[in-house]
Amino acid sequence: MPRFEIDFLGRKLLFAVISGVLLALAIGALTVQGLSFGIEFQGGTVINITADVPLEISEVREAFVDAGFREPVVQSTEDGGFIVRASESDPDEVNRAFGDVAAALGLDRAAGTVTTIGPGWGQSVTNAALLALVLSVFAILLYISLRFEYKMSITAVTALIHDIIIVLGIYALSGRDVTPNTIAALLTIMGYSLYDTVVVFHRMKENSVTLVKSTFTSMANHSINQVLVRTINTSVTSLIPVVVLLFFGGETLRDFAFALTVGLFISTYSSIGVASPIFVLWKEREPKFRALAKKYAQAS
Amino acid sequence: MEPKQWNALALGAVVLLVIGSWLLFWPLESKITKGLDIRGGLSVILTAEETTGTAITEGVMDRAELIVRNRVDRLGASEASIQRQGAASILVQLPGIGNADEALAALGTTGQLEIRDVVSVDATGAPVLGDILLTGDVITGASISTDQLGKLSVDVTFSGEGAKRWAEITTARVGRQIAIVLDDIVQSAPVVQEPILGGQTAITGNFTPEEAKKLKTVLETGALPVSLKFEESRVVGPTLGQDSLRKGVFAALVGLALVGVYLILFYRGLGVLSLTSLFVFGSLFLGILAVLSSFGWFALSLPGIAGIVLTIGLAADSSILINERFKEEVAAGKTIRSAAKSSTRQAIGTSLDANLVTLVSAFVLYLVAIGPVRGFALTLMIGIFCTVVVMVLYKRPIIIALGESVMMKMPRLFALKGGGGGA
Repeated sequence: MPRFEIDFLGRKLLFAVISGVLLALAIGALTVQGLSFGIEFQGGTVINITADVPLEISEVREAFVDAGFREPVVQSTEDGGFIVRASESDPDEVNRAFGDVAAALGLDRAAGTVTTIGPGWGQSVTNAALLALVLSVFAILLYISLRFEYKMSITAVTALIHDIIIVLGIYALSGRDVTPNTIAALLTIMGYSLYDTVVVFHRMKENSVTLVKSTFTSMANHSINQVLVRTINTSVTSLIPVVVLLFFGGETLRDFAFALTVGLFISTYSSIGVASPIFVLWKEREPKFRALAKKYAQAS
Repeated sequence: MEPKQWNALALGAVVLLVIGSWLLFWPLESKITKGLDIRGGLSVILTAEETTGTAITEGVMDRAELIVRNRVDRLGASEASIQRQGAASILVQLPGIGNADEALAALGTTGQLEIRDVVSVDATGAPVLGDILLTGDVITGASISTDQLGKLSVDVTFSGEGAKRWAEITTARVGRQIAIVLDDIVQSAPVVQEPILGGQTAITGNFTPEEAKKLKTVLETGALPVSLKFEESRVVGPTLGQDSLRKGVFAALVGLALVGVYLILFYRGLGVLSLTSLFVFGSLFLGILAVLSSFGWFALSLPGIAGIVLTIGLAADSSILINERFKEEVAAGKTIRSAAKSSTRQAIGTSLDANLVTLVSAFVLYLVAIGPVRGFALTLMIGIFCTVVVMVLYKRPIIIALGESVMMKMPRLFALKGGGGGA
C-alpha cells in the first residue's frame, strides 16, 4: 500500500504514558474531590423556573426561604430562568410551598417544573444503574468472545473501563452533578467505545487470515491505518450532533451532551491507544505469531 | 433470486416503506405522542409497602396498582397512564393535569377499604352510601371459587371479632344492599341473601374471571393493607417542556445539516448517497415512532430526543463504514462494479457486529433502568434497528446499482481514485 502509514503500535510507550497520566488524574480526582451526586441519587427537590419577568437571584432565594425551604440553592440559567435545589423531599409539601413562591414572585404556577425524589429512591436508582452496567459488560464479553475471541473481548472491556474511569474523573474535576442522564450517557459511551474497538478488531481478524509475510504487529498496525479515516470521520459525525446539543440543547439536555462529548474523544483514542496495543502484545505471545515475529522482525 | 432482481426489489421496498412512513407520521405534531416532560403534567413513581412489613410480592403489587387506578379514576384525569416499573414501583403519569397539589394529596394515602350501608339508590341506579359498618382490617382473606355450573364466586373470611359483627350486620339486613367501598369508590354492592353466622361469605354474581379477580384484590386490600410511598414526583409546567422540545429539535436539525455538509464535502457523490440514506433512516425511524405512539407504547421525552440525536450519529457511522470500505477497495485496484458488491458486504458485516454490541447495552439499559432513562434506551434500540434495515435494503443495493452505471462513467464525482471505468 503506497499510502503513508502512522506507526501507532510503535508508540505503545507514549500511549501507556498518556493513559497512565489520565487514569492517575481521574482516580486522584475521584478520591480527593469525589463525585457530586444530583438529588436524583440523594433525595430532595429540584425546581426549574422559566421567568418571563426579570428576577434577581437574591429575590428568588428569599421567596423560597419565606415559603419554608430550609437551604435552597439558587442558580440562574442562561435563558433568564432559575434552577433551585433543596433538601425537602415530600412532594405534597414542596408543591404547595412552590405555589406560595410563585405567587410571591408574581410568576405563573405553570412556569415551574418541580421534581422531588424520596430519600430511599436514589439508592434503588443507583443499584439499578450499576446492575445495568455490570450486566451489559457481561453481555458484551460474551458476545465478543463468541463472535471473535476471548482475548479481544477482554481487551475491549479493558478499554471500556479505561474510558469510563476517565469520564467519571472529569465529572469529579468539573464538579458537575451526576444525574440519571449521566448514567445513560455512560452506557452510550460504552456503546461507542466498543463500536470503534470492534471495527478495528474486525479488520485485524480479516487481515490475520491471510497473514504470512509479516509480523502480527505490523499487520495490526496496517489494519488500524486502513480504518483510520473511518474512525476519524465517524467520530466527527457523531461529535457534531452531540456538540450542537451541548450548545443549543437547553439546560436539561446539556449534562447529557457534556458526558457524551468527553466520552467520544476518549473512546476514539482508546480503541487505538489502549485496546489495540494490549491485544497485539497478547497475540504476539502465541507461538504462531512469535515465529512470524522472529522471521520478519527486521524486514518490517 | 438473481442479485439484480433482489436489488430492484429491495429498492422498491424502500420506496414503499418511506412513503408508508410519511403517511404514518405526518403531521408530526399529532402523530407522535409527546411525553409528560414536554407536555406538562404530573408524573410520580410510587413504591408499595405492606404496612405489616412483609416482602413485596406480585399480590402486593396487584393491590397497589388497583388502589392507584382507583384513585386516578376518582381524580377524573383523562389519558392517565399507570405502569409497573421494576419489582416494587408504579409509574403514574397524568398529562396536562391542572391541580397537581390535589392529585398529590389523593395519591399519597393508604388504601381505605370499608363496608358501608346503602340507604337508597339514586336516579342512575348508583347506591347512596350510609354509615360505615366495618373497616377492611376485619377481613382476613379472599379467594375465588367455582361451583359445579362453572359460576365464579369470591369468598371472604373474617377475623373472630369481625365475624361476630358481620353476623349482626347481615342478620339485620337480609334482602338489602351493602356496599364494598375502596377509597370512597363503590367496588361492589351485593344484596345480603341470608344471615352469615360463621364468617365465611360467598359473594356471587355473574362475574367474569377479571371481575372476580378484581373484587378479590379489592377485598385483600383490607386484609393486607398496602401503603404507597412517593419516590419521585415531577410536576412539569407546560412552558418549560415546550421550550426544551424546541431547543432539542433545533439541535437535531442543525446537527443533521452539519453532518450532511461534512459528508458531501468529504465523499462528494457517495456523501449524497449517505445523506439520502440518512433521509430513509429518518423516515423509517419516525414511522416506527408514530406506530408505537398510536398504540400508546411510546411518548417522546427529553432523554428520548437525546437518544435520537445520538442515533443520527450511529446511522452516519454505518454509512461512512460502507463509503470507506468501498473507496479503499477501488483504490486497491478492484473494478468499481466488483468493489461495490464485496465492499458493501464486508462493511455491513462489520457494522452489524458493532451495532449489535451497542444494542446489547441499550437493551440491558431498557430492561433494568427505571424512570426517564428508559425512553432513551428505547429510541436508541429503534435507531439501531433502522440503521441495519437502511444498510441492507438501501445503501448496498443503491451502491451496486450505481456502481454499474454512473460511478463507472464519473468516478471522480464519487471521490473514487483508481479502479478505472472500463477495466
